[in-house]
Amino acid sequence: MQPSPAQALPDPAYLKLSGVRKSFGPEGEGGTVALRDISLTVGEGEFLAVVGPSGCGKSTLLQIVAGLMAPSGGQVAVGDTAVTAPPDSMVYLFQQYTKSLFPWRTIVDNVAFAVEHRGGMTRAKARQYSRPFLDMVGLGDSAERYPWQLSGGMQQRVAIARALAAEPRILLMDEPFSSVDALTRLDLHNLILDLWTKRRFTVLLVTHDVDEAVFLADRVAVLSARPSVIARTFATDLPRPRDSIRTRETPRFLELRHTLLAMLLERPHDG
Amino acid sequence: MAERAGKRLGGRWLGVAVVVALLALVEAGVRLGAVNAALVPPPTEVAVRIADIIATGAFVEPLAATLYLLFIAYIGASALAVGLGLLMGRFPAIYNLFEPLIELLRPLPKPALLPPLILFLGLGDLMKSVVVGLAVLFPVLINTIQGVRGVDPVLIDTARTFGYGRLAVLRKVILPAALPLIFAGLRVSLALGLILVVIAEMLAGTGGLGYLILDMQRTFRVQNMYAWLAILAVLGYGLNAGFLALEHRIIHWAAARPD
Repeated sequence: MQPSPAQALPDPAYLKLSGVRKSFGPEGEGGTVALRDISLTVGEGEFLAVVGPSGCGKSTLLQIVAGLMAPSGGQVAVGDTAVTAPPDSMVYLFQQYTKSLFPWRTIVDNVAFAVEHRGGMTRAKARQYSRPFLDMVGLGDSAERYPWQLSGGMQQRVAIARALAAEPRILLMDEPFSSVDALTRLDLHNLILDLWTKRRFTVLLVTHDVDEAVFLADRVAVLSARPSVIARTFATDLPRPRDSIRTRETPRFLELRHTLLAMLLERPHDG
Repeated sequence: MAERAGKRLGGRWLGVAVVVALLALVEAGVRLGAVNAALVPPPTEVAVRIADIIATGAFVEPLAATLYLLFIAYIGASALAVGLGLLMGRFPAIYNLFEPLIELLRPLPKPALLPPLILFLGLGDLMKSVVVGLAVLFPVLINTIQGVRGVDPVLIDTARTFGYGRLAVLRKVILPAALPLIFAGLRVSLALGLILVVIAEMLAGTGGLGYLILDMQRTFRVQNMYAWLAILAVLGYGLNAGFLALEHRIIHWAAARPD
């Protein structure tokens, strides 16, 4: 079904949103239009960040892409297949890691959840399969602990390990670093970039943190205030591997950060 | 922490001392003639009867009858309540279908159903287990529905994005997430179930601890009445303690969680 990278070039429009619209409540008068007309393509293996002001419908957009919510109009497609239900190729990393981990499962069993329902898997096999993913996020020693025994940053690492265990082709991230402290966030940025470099899945990240978007992504799309459209898309053009300190000091980083913040704060003359 | 645990233990022994003191007070009251010994025999004499009942093995049959009835009704009704509660909590159509019926039956004191049930089912075990089951059903059902509705949508979405279907989500996410509330309902129901077993046995008059207690009173064997009452109290205490141990084993994560 999926051509291996050796045989085919990466698909430049692997994840495609065409005219996606979402309104809540009655159509027209009285209803709220959250997303007006979102068209966006993400290339295979690309890291795309969507930034926007609070309440601009970023999470709604991601839920539609994930197949968790139906759009009111338009369509989302992966390759040639329209998304109507959560596709196997996608994994969603939620902002609220405390709510997305299962408190009755140990860390390793939380990761095993990603695969244990698949054909031919047993609980024991799934656990064994999960261990390397815990090592990958540096939590090999915490396998038998419970989520509520770990710090916030460690819990989000578990969620990342679980997401990777599903071997996704597309990773959707909904402000996954916004509820950890600033230093832990930099740590997790490096972890995600490291894993992405090694495994080359496609990433769609939504965030309100301009700094984070520019640091991580290949391209940054700016969402306007509600009802949202894509206002502009920027290529970051920052060399990789990126460095938590030095990349943030480059002129290109500062320039992009300036432009994006000016757009989001609606200060056009500053742009 | 060790100090706190020690304090709790100390509090517990103090509570036991209150029970012993109360029994000593009754004993003294009876011995001094302040209490009519025909109505309240001295606790030491009741203790002798209890020892007698245990030594002769006379407790086995009525205790087994009571426990058998309780467990059959409790397990059956609980399983039904959890199953129905999962469906009602998850599917609004099923909820709407049964909600009026449940709201009508739930507030009804279940012993009031004994006369019509006896009319239909006679005095046998079937009648008794039905009335006990009805008492057990509602707290478990209501708590299961609440528990299912309280499951965080993020937890369910997480499972869906990993490709879990409806039934798998119900079994692997919603049921375990609702377990703390389900267990709270099960605990209430266990106490209610024991109450109803005793009432049903008294009314049916065919055996069990409830029947014995009433029978001893009617035949003026007051010491035996109190002896059986004490055995019933110990049974209730033991059931609750056993339940708590089981609950702690199964949902240890719920108690240990900081929030």
